[in-house]
Amino acid sequence: MSAVILTDEQREALQEITNVGMGQAGASIATILNEFVHLSVPKIFILRADEISPSIVSLVGDAEVSAVRQAFHGAFRGEAIVIYRNQSHTDIADLMGYDPDVDTVEEYELILDVTNILVGACLGGVAEQIRADIGFSAPSIMAEHIPAGRLISPDEVGSAWALFVEVNFALEGRSFACHLIALMPEEEILAVGKALDWFMETL
Amino acid sequence: MIHPDNFPLLKFVVDRVEVGIFAVDQAMRVTLWNRFMAVHSGRAADEVLGQNLFDCFPELPRKWLEKKIQSVFVLKNYSFTSWEHRPYLFRFHHNRPITGGIDTMQQNCTFLPVRGDGENVNHVCVTIFDYTDTALYQGRLKSAIADLEAERSEQRILIKKLEEAHNQLLQSEKLASIGQLAAGVAHEINNPVGFVNSNLGSLEKYVRDWARLLDLYEQAEECLAPHPEVLAGIRDTKREIDIDFVKDDIRQLIRESKDGLDRVKNIVQDLKDFSRVGETDWQWADVHKCLDGTLNVVWNEIKYKADVVKEYGKIPEIECIPSQLNQVFMNLLVNAAHAIAERGQIVLRTGHERDWVSVSVSDTGVGIAPENINRIYDPFFTTKPVGTGTGLGLSISHSIISKHGGRIDMESVVGSGTTFRVWLPVCQAVQAQGSPG
Amino acid sequence: MSVSVLVVDDSPMARKMLIKALPPSWDVTITQASNGIEALAAYRTGTVDVMFLDLTMPEMDGYQVLETLRKEDLNCLVIVVSADIQPGAQQRVRQLGAIAFVKKPVKPADVQSVLKEYGILV
Repeated sequence: MSAVILTDEQREALQEITNVGMGQAGASIATILNEFVHLSVPKIFILRADEISPSIVSLVGDAEVSAVRQAFHGAFRGEAIVIYRNQSHTDIADLMGYDPDVDTVEEYELILDVTNILVGACLGGVAEQIRADIGFSAPSIMAEHIPAGRLISPDEVGSAWALFVEVNFALEGRSFACHLIALMPEEEILAVGKALDWFMETL
Repeated sequence: MIHPDNFPLLKFVVDRVEVGIFAVDQAMRVTLWNRFMAVHSGRAADEVLGQNLFDCFPELPRKWLEKKIQSVFVLKNYSFTSWEHRPYLFRFHHNRPITGGIDTMQQNCTFLPVRGDGENVNHVCVTIFDYTDTALYQGRLKSAIADLEAERSEQRILIKKLEEAHNQLLQSEKLASIGQLAAGVAHEINNPVGFVNSNLGSLEKYVRDWARLLDLYEQAEECLAPHPEVLAGIRDTKREIDIDFVKDDIRQLIRESKDGLDRVKNIVQDLKDFSRVGETDWQWADVHKCLDGTLNVVWNEIKYKADVVKEYGKIPEIECIPSQLNQVFMNLLVNAAHAIAERGQIVLRTGHERDWVSVSVSDTGVGIAPENINRIYDPFFTTKPVGTGTGLGLSISHSIISKHGGRIDMESVVGSGTTFRVWLPVCQAVQAQGSPG
Repeated sequence: MSVSVLVVDDSPMARKMLIKALPPSWDVTITQASNGIEALAAYRTGTVDVMFLDLTMPEMDGYQVLETLRKEDLNCLVIVVSADIQPGAQQRVRQLGAIAFVKKPVKPADVQSVLKEYGILV
């Protein structure tokens, strides 16, 4: 792991900002779903391309997962990936306005919806704090029922380094849980670093 | 909200763009309704503006859509739907009424938060893109991929069959080589067997002469009375070698040896008959000889499973390729033995009816399951454990019998046994004249 | 006499933001701690009047600090500062004895109104 791309100070600031962004996301989601949301302390790593897949495995275990990808763009670009352990999504169907006995197609629409909400709230919250303007593309299914270790292969990652921001969501009283990771290539990490510097100067 | 009505250029674009655009406020009242929406829904803007969206369109999935729009108000963030998971929001006709094969416009929708003054979102704007063409292409692509997949799996099956056929070919080549080897060995064995047999004939004669001479000597023993020491020596030796037993046993030994040689000769002959693999000459042959010869060859496979009962009728010689018939009989006999789980009986019957000869092989085995009856002559079909059968025996038999202008039929009762009956024309010219049985 | 303020947060930036948000007119002595253990140690060495406490921290988190303070019946005004702004979380910390809740990112106006509400600042 290398901290050269982001200074300790920048990384610490990003962690705190992500923490606040998540808190806002959690509150918004709690309002929509009417349930208490458990949030983990966000973790931030700068990883080599070949370290991404093992990090995902250590995050979710080597279970079968489905995943949704959503790109973000604007002041900084990257991809957010929300990873769902199988069998856990139907638990929130009713909260999202779906029939509790969703079929497969609806289940995918459901995790697309959930992803959109999590990514928008979480990354939107981060961007808003550092006054960066970012937008989101429509989410799309990245993988259906594959081992977590096969989600991202190193040769798919176009950058030598990636910023790996990890956030875990769980709903109290429901079995639903998922993991959000945001991946950004090297030059975008530098852009984030600049935005963080500017933000800290204004404090 | 910057309403397009206040900006002529914006209003023109919003109205004429080939995208459905509408907006609702927090109370789900319609606040924007462009021409695309009006044309496709059949409801003009002045009919729906200010009205509750769900009152105007009760067919919309209210619970889900309200939640979705609500989340945009609260999270102040975009939301999406994709035709792949939700084919449409509004049931609109699409632009391919004739050639499409889809009855509803496939739609991708974007829900965007419209911030008024300050932070709050006071409208949610929805855009509807027509994805029907994409959906059609994707559908075609999917079915093309499915076809390719199907073809690929068919090819995989064919390749597997080819491999099996190849193995079978190797197997039959091996059999042919073994057959040639056996024929060669049989020929080589025939020579020594021939001279041993002839020597044995001479030996038998010599021994008989010798015995006759010995009898004369024995009768002459009395003349040796004046030489008691010579006589005692002879009697001691006779006692020592048990001459009475030897005289008796020598004949028996020779007879048994001749029997043994006859059996060797028979086996060699069967082997030679059976292994005439390359032989494709039509000739007149005795079916009973073919049956007996084959039975000898496969006896080892059968003897521990079944008693063989022969109920041979009186049949004429038939015009056939004996080595091929041998192969048919071998398959039927081996199958019959395999069908018997512990121990049972195999009955061989032959008969003669007009210009036809019949050969049947009945076993007291497990029988053939009804669902398999139509497949028993299919190449590679087998119910035997992997490695035991090739699944080609009956299909080869079937084609040999067809080549002879004959027919094979089968009766089977699950749990009690199976009978295969082969009908063969006596002479090949008779083929066209009616069917047997 | 100046008021003794303890700012507890594992993030230096968050501490900086909070200190910036305190009313400039307020006469305070500020101590900082980066986790619960440090916070309790700082508290026990002297008299802390007001504690601004983050909830999610390594070593010992804000909830545990609140529980300890309540068990030891120590006297201190605790204002929780947290990113977890769900109503449920606010309720939980109030039950544990915090007098107020300020949400992150901290805004000067929020801090001021809380201080005024509880008569800490006149």
